[in-house]
Amino acid sequence: MARPVRSICIVGGGTAGWLTAGIIAARHAGESGRGLAVTLVESESIGIIGVGEGTWPTMRSTLKKMGISETELFRECNASFKQGAKFSRWVTGEASDFYYHPLMLPEGFPGLDLAPFWTKYSDERADAPSFSAAVCFQEAVCELGLAPKLITSPEYAGIANYAYHLDAGKFASFVRQHCVRNFGIRHVVDDVTAVVKSDSGDIDYVATANSGRLVADLFIDCSGLRSLLLGEALGVPFVDCSDVLFIDRALALQVPYDNEQNDIVPHTLSTAQKHGWIWDIGLQSRRGVGYVFSSAHTTADAALTELRAYVGDRHGDLQPREIKIAPGHRQTFWKGNCVAVGLSAGFLEPLEASALVLIELSAEMISGTIPATRETMDIVARRFNEATHYRWGRIIDFLKLHYILSRRTDAKFWIDNRDPASIPDGLKEQMELWRYRAPGDQDFMSNCEMFPAASYQYVLFGMGFRMEVAHLPLQRDSSGAQRAFTQNETLKSKWTRALPKNRALIDKIKAHGLQRI
Amino acid sequence: MRLVELSRSEHAGLRIRAERVEASASDQHLVPIVVSEFRKAAIQYPIVFAKHPETGRFAPYVLNGLAVQENLFWTGTELDVAYVPLNVRRQPFYAPENALCIDLDSPCVDSSGQKTLVNPDGSDSSYLQGMLSVLGELVAGKAATEQFIATLLSLELLAPLLLDILLDDKTPLQLHGLYGLDEERFRQLDAGEIAKFWQNGYLDLVYAVLLASGQIFKLIRLKNQRIAASRAWHSNT
Repeated sequence: MARPVRSICIVGGGTAGWLTAGIIAARHAGESGRGLAVTLVESESIGIIGVGEGTWPTMRSTLKKMGISETELFRECNASFKQGAKFSRWVTGEASDFYYHPLMLPEGFPGLDLAPFWTKYSDERADAPSFSAAVCFQEAVCELGLAPKLITSPEYAGIANYAYHLDAGKFASFVRQHCVRNFGIRHVVDDVTAVVKSDSGDIDYVATANSGRLVADLFIDCSGLRSLLLGEALGVPFVDCSDVLFIDRALALQVPYDNEQNDIVPHTLSTAQKHGWIWDIGLQSRRGVGYVFSSAHTTADAALTELRAYVGDRHGDLQPREIKIAPGHRQTFWKGNCVAVGLSAGFLEPLEASALVLIELSAEMISGTIPATRETMDIVARRFNEATHYRWGRIIDFLKLHYILSRRTDAKFWIDNRDPASIPDGLKEQMELWRYRAPGDQDFMSNCEMFPAASYQYVLFGMGFRMEVAHLPLQRDSSGAQRAFTQNETLKSKWTRALPKNRALIDKIKAHGLQRI
Repeated sequence: MRLVELSRSEHAGLRIRAERVEASASDQHLVPIVVSEFRKAAIQYPIVFAKHPETGRFAPYVLNGLAVQENLFWTGTELDVAYVPLNVRRQPFYAPENALCIDLDSPCVDSSGQKTLVNPDGSDSSYLQGMLSVLGELVAGKAATEQFIATLLSLELLAPLLLDILLDDKTPLQLHGLYGLDEERFRQLDAGEIAKFWQNGYLDLVYAVLLASGQIFKLIRLKNQRIAASRAWHSNT
């Protein structure tokens, strides 16, 4: 007899747990049909790790679908706008060395590919603008510290594409509050004392200290790095990726602003150091700054010295929090009636803010494919595993891309990163192809792509990668390309004048709110 | 603009050229109105909603033109309209936070003007009394207007207005950033909501806006006439 799937139990109440609960409940709560019951159990004694202070633009549609007000996000989560990342000192290590990975696609992309035209122009002209400055206006907006929209822009609509920087702790409780109020999720605050399996190997129930047994048809493991269900109870092994991505430690600081009027930088700053890189994220009331490094290449003490040099003497009294990162992921993400979302599934260095977006994508996929019966769950699980493996693979490739193009020779960390043995074969193949043509949609044909071809272009050409273009048929599109470059200059001049400063807009949003329409 | 608080003693000698008041609206395609003006405005203008550029908050406006800074009712010497909104008539006076202020840089403030503010005996002139009542209606209407807007927003009765016009000379014309009443949603309100609308006078306001929407054709006609006149002028010279 078919066993219907009617109940879901989410274990863990950090960002992963509550986002997953919200994404599933927003779709299923109050619907007729099977009447899916969602329970979330979280411990009061276990804190949340609170990584992932940067989101992707996907977070806008995720929150909108959940019925969350963007104005409230700014009021409650110390949030600010993020318009991509500025990578400094990654190529040569010199002070003047930087490039942008903006969130906007190049003008005309993907119908028109400006990359070969820009390459040709910059081959001929020493004073050519950078790739990102030539093809999109976001770098200019970021350099001036401007916001991506106006106070008259509706909630979640932007003039330039944007994501958020936010306080992960506040964000988790903000999403929790919304879910509990609006979606009828059963919220159990208790410690999980045991995970009990049935003879079939499925999880039967999780036992709690004071709330009894939580029985469910599907369990979602959002327990964080411990991976209580998938890792500990079901014994799914961990796949280590430290042979590709060396970073395994973080030292994090919360740096106050000098005063309340200080500019909020509207993008993530990523500044390469000798044995890793420093993230610098501007929230409303403070900056989140941290050094992620390779413990095989340096010591925590030496890393702290570099971090202190970055934040300056006046913050010398701040005490860092040390976090150990095991770069990698579970061998399988959905086994039996248990699927892992968030750190329980895996973690990589926060170079391209992939943690939160993977939560969103995983939860979306689960929510959209919750099987009707236990019997069909294995099919859904297999597809989920294929998609999620593919996604982790693409993230690892893209992160590695940032390292293999560096020309730094000042530390073994950078030299080791270029060792061909550390570069995934798929990425090596792509690099061969890209010597003769730019990354395009033909390189990324899955439904589960993470980064668009444009992102590869921004990193490749931002890091000084040279592509041969003499053989390419450029004649037909050349006037279209010229128009697109001109259009970009027009937009740049228009929006650098019209957009407000990042903090000024955030203050206005808090005072007046954004309209929903 | 040089706003100062009006002082009957200090500004006793000021003279106002009332005939320049309407000129102040010659380049305004939108003029904000308050709810007490809706019925009068509806006989002349489309009533639309737009966001304040500094706060993003919605307010109602009369629409004077089909392009930014275009007032199709301005003849060059006056506004050819049956009703002049309070926010035009009050020039050069302002009432920020209920203080009575005057813009000393306004072209209406001119020593050759016919209107005085204060009578020889020190009392307010009939002109100033008229201005005070205009400002009084604006101030009184502010809260009621905000309440009406808040109600429309909470019931999701505002929607972006898509004006996609083809003029006689085949010029396509689009106007962005304007909002109108979502008539379909309004028709779906339940009897309880409609009763509340009737009780607090919102039903009148909604119908004023719905009826006024047809005035857009007046603007299109004026725009076509203006283009034809300008063509004729150029072909004759």
